[in-house]
Amino acid sequence: MKKKIYALLASFMLAVSMLLTACGNADAIAGNIASQVREEVSQKKQQVEAADSVPDETGSVDLSQIPEFSGKPYVVINGNKPFFKTDELTAQSFESYGNLDNLGRCTAAKASVSQDTMPEEKRGRIGNIKPTGWHTIRYSFINGRYLYNRCHLIGYQLTGENANPKNLITGTRYLNVDGMLPFENMVADYVKETGNHVLYRVTPVFKGNELVARGVLMEAESVEDHGEGIMFNVYCYNNQPGVDIDYATGESQAAR
Amino acid sequence: MIWISIVDNSMGMLFNHRRQSRDRVLVQRILEITRGHALWMNAYTASLFEPLSPGIHVDERFYERAASGEFVLAETIPPGACEKEIEKVILYHWNRDYPADTYFDLDLTDWKITRTEEFPGFSHDKITEEVYCR
Repeated sequence: MKKKIYALLASFMLAVSMLLTACGNADAIAGNIASQVREEVSQKKQQVEAADSVPDETGSVDLSQIPEFSGKPYVVINGNKPFFKTDELTAQSFESYGNLDNLGRCTAAKASVSQDTMPEEKRGRIGNIKPTGWHTIRYSFINGRYLYNRCHLIGYQLTGENANPKNLITGTRYLNVDGMLPFENMVADYVKETGNHVLYRVTPVFKGNELVARGVLMEAESVEDHGEGIMFNVYCYNNQPGVDIDYATGESQAAR
Repeated sequence: MIWISIVDNSMGMLFNHRRQSRDRVLVQRILEITRGHALWMNAYTASLFEPLSPGIHVDERFYERAASGEFVLAETIPPGACEKEIEKVILYHWNRDYPADTYFDLDLTDWKITRTEEFPGFSHDKITEEVYCR
């Protein structure tokens, strides 16, 4: 509650300061970028145990709490703070891919991404993998034509894990390119430039016994600088604008 | 002042109060083009330039401190509110998609591009430098 009051006060003060002199907006924005990041990092350390709706080890969230898709490829979750516990953050590189469930669906994939985990060779073929709900379907209005990609949970550029059935889901091109790839790029650049580790987890979110995920939860936090470099918690929608998808089977049709 | 910003394919600058990306080759490039002139920035950006060269000035209100002909490197502040004070814009493009929630908000439609140059970065295949004058 206190946090909400402080946030409201901060917002009010921000609004007032925006009415002031030349570059007033810049003052308001500039005021505390760096200090806000440091405050977030400090609060994160103290609040992990008290966070609302801390999910289990897989990082999954309740679909009913996710807003309906409205044209933006992702939505911020939990104020962009991952659900990691403090003792999960490690500068020891690792990768883990959860076992497929009883319907053959992927579960969470997690890694401490580093320069050690990133591949040097180009990605190979993965056409032999058929994730649950897979269909080869084309629509003329989709860039690249194909509705579905074999979508890596942890992007190849981060851990080099390619034709692993535990790391591939049936994902729309929109999910893969507009949703997930920008976040992967941000993490990859940070690791290449700093040599630091990023704890990274991607959890597909299925509804009931549906074979195609409704979306994926992506969480990331840079380790050595305690989240100052990388921190996000977002849900990316497994939608394709212009296409109605039957998530139970993976079949689809052009939207009416 | 001469305004320097770095943007992604959607003119995004920041996500969750943090830079979208960084590149050590770009840092060197900025030092080269500003050599001999004052370069103003805030503490957040200064961490990319440590140890600081003599011409670098660190101040949280860097966009107010810079005089005519001096450079500002603005990672965290969109330029729109400072438009009247900006003589020239140097815009770097990552040529990549990142998430963004803070955007470059200066309309450059009526500005003239006087130079465009591409160069390889360290973690970026190609970085584009555009120079705009009034």
